[in-house]
Amino acid sequence: MTNEGPRYLKDKEGYFSKEQRDRTKKRSKEMEAAVSATLKKQKNRPKAMSYFDELHKYEGARYHELKEFHDKGGKIVGTLCVMVPLELVHASGAQVIRMCSGYYEPVHPANELLGDAGLCPMVKSTLGTQMVSSNPIVDLVDMVAGPATCDGKMKLAEILEDWVPVVMMNIPRVKVGESSSKLWVKEIIHLKTKLEELTGNPIKKSTLRKEIKKWNEANQHWSELLKIRKADKPPISGRDAMLVVQATQIDRIDRWNKKMKDLLLELKKLEKKGLFAGEEGAARILLAGSPMMYPNFKIPTIIEESGGTIITDELCTGYRLMADPVIVDGMSKKEIYEALAERYFFPCSCPCFSPNDERIRRMKESIKVFGIEGVVFHTLRGCHLNNLEATKIELALREEGIPMVKLESEYDEGDIEQVRTRVEAFVEMIKARREFKLSHTAEENK
Amino acid sequence: MKDTYKGRNIRPFRFIVQLLALGFVFSQMVGIPPFGTHPLLRRIFLPNASCRYISEAPTSCYYYQLQDGLTQGYANAYIDVILMLLIVILLIIALGRLWCSWLCPFGLAQEGMTKLREMTGLPPLKVKWSGRVILRRVKSSLLFFTILFSLPIGIGSLGIAGCQSTLALPFCQVCPAKGFFTVFQQLLGIEPWSTTLPWLAIGSLSLFLIATFFVDMAFCRICPMGSVMALMGRFSLPWLRKDPSKCTKCRICLRVCPLDHDRVYEDMEADDVGSEDCTLCGKCVELCPEEGCLTMMYGPISLKSSRRPRDMGLSRMIKKIKEGGNDK
Repeated sequence: MTNEGPRYLKDKEGYFSKEQRDRTKKRSKEMEAAVSATLKKQKNRPKAMSYFDELHKYEGARYHELKEFHDKGGKIVGTLCVMVPLELVHASGAQVIRMCSGYYEPVHPANELLGDAGLCPMVKSTLGTQMVSSNPIVDLVDMVAGPATCDGKMKLAEILEDWVPVVMMNIPRVKVGESSSKLWVKEIIHLKTKLEELTGNPIKKSTLRKEIKKWNEANQHWSELLKIRKADKPPISGRDAMLVVQATQIDRIDRWNKKMKDLLLELKKLEKKGLFAGEEGAARILLAGSPMMYPNFKIPTIIEESGGTIITDELCTGYRLMADPVIVDGMSKKEIYEALAERYFFPCSCPCFSPNDERIRRMKESIKVFGIEGVVFHTLRGCHLNNLEATKIELALREEGIPMVKLESEYDEGDIEQVRTRVEAFVEMIKARREFKLSHTAEENK
Repeated sequence: MKDTYKGRNIRPFRFIVQLLALGFVFSQMVGIPPFGTHPLLRRIFLPNASCRYISEAPTSCYYYQLQDGLTQGYANAYIDVILMLLIVILLIIALGRLWCSWLCPFGLAQEGMTKLREMTGLPPLKVKWSGRVILRRVKSSLLFFTILFSLPIGIGSLGIAGCQSTLALPFCQVCPAKGFFTVFQQLLGIEPWSTTLPWLAIGSLSLFLIATFFVDMAFCRICPMGSVMALMGRFSLPWLRKDPSKCTKCRICLRVCPLDHDRVYEDMEADDVGSEDCTLCGKCVELCPEEGCLTMMYGPISLKSSRRPRDMGLSRMIKKIKEGGNDK
């Protein structure tokens, strides 16, 4: 795809002053350091987590590794959504980074130029990062794979074309019927040809199968972690679990598998010792809603600092990244691509799809399995899809007797105290409910 | 298995049962009566998995007996057919469609053709929803026409009894099993070589073997014996249970189904999703990645549930840590 006409941001080079660029860069770095510091302060934190901290670090080890890889002629593919099959990207020999940004500062340059103040801040931040090149890792990207999921992501991919080549993926947004699956398989095969063009390596069936196997192993490790989180006192916090699973989006998966194994074994030992990552008697929270890319861990941090603990989530930057394995039945190429395409499409409960009853069903099931006491539904400002589904979900959860609080947030630290007050009240309410229930059952037992 | 990236825990077991059933049928060919020679046992006709055209067969598939009984039974008010059907109904209640995917020798032959296709690297041709509706109609109309042809030619007063020599046993004339067993026995020398080969049956045998190379289980899609079992589906003991609350709609069950049975995927209300086309081969149960979403049931007993793929090495290490702590 090439833009023949006038470029969206023709004067991008001269528009932003050097001071603004440097300021954005500096503040991004400071923000990441601050978030990382709060994560490290958590009690009973497993030692194996330090690898994942280092991986996510601004200009950290992963950046230098990728830079070296890129300098040697290796290709780096940026992704904009969970629906990009990373098995395929890895099979082509390219490395992956997730471009969706969690940095607050780049929102301002994007705001200046885009003229849509109500747009999703994650989209603005991703674009701003590109405009003022505030994150060096993003500058390494050779090609972007962007599924056209929500309006914001679709236009984001289109505008990004000014900087890097973009492969737009036409994701069918209605799941019913036989045509949607066929269209998506074709889009995946289109991505495959584009990847082959980029890297110059043809993607062989055997390599792809090997990659699928590695990713399935990662999926198995993730479900093992979910099992640990089911415990009464899980030894890992929700933020750490999110950090771990988001690492799959930027790491080499075989190395991630190894580090994850270490983490799981350490967690099991911690669990044996009875160490709990949260506060005593913490409210068991399920976090759902709009994506939260690291370092935008504002809401989870507030929850876990106000006497709650995130047991599981229903986020596309959390649980949903690794929720499903690829099950290939048969040896033919067509069957492998079909299996790959369907794993990234049918079980995905992104609100951009309709019908999306899967989401409510999954949340209800999680509530049962993980013993959830309350749901925090987070929406980013301008995320219409999540906002619209929130009410539906709240009504469905009311039937189950599970309270839900909806928090709207911006990429901004201004609303922290306001959100904290609401979360604290919510956690208090859950604890009061628990005590009421306990006394009630005790009375009944008498 | 290598190709699925998930352990198969039903297929090996099913394969053994299928081989035993095949041995059971083939043993009749060399004169070993599987049930013994008691005259009462000779009244048992199986829902499938046997054939009249095996020379020493003490009994046969009931479909032969149904056609034969409908033609011959006019004089004694079809009492034989009714008795035979009662026994068959009991057998179907007991084993349901396990008769199809676990015991039918032609099912095994078709799976062999599927294996052959997999070796060539060709993908299977999937039948669309509209095609499945048509095939379902073909299946029931085959049953209907078998009865329509067999019944009147046995009624003498209609004056078409002369057609018996050509029109009797209409389905057997085109049944691939007849083609297979007559030729096979003649080749082995069990039966004397004759020139009057059942060409129609041999033709349909070759047709279905070729068709099943491209479309999985091509014959099962129109098998009239299967359609009788599907009618009895809700009364028979084995069934397929789905727990919709655990379903993530990932579509694996539909994609791997050899018969493209879509109810397992589509139905989000019913408990029993294995009616109509399902032959209870258990492939979806093996490959479903959700813990306890699909279950093979026998009456109220659950035989095998779907489960999440696990890294066995890691699970063992985790278990070790757990037990190691207990020792201290």
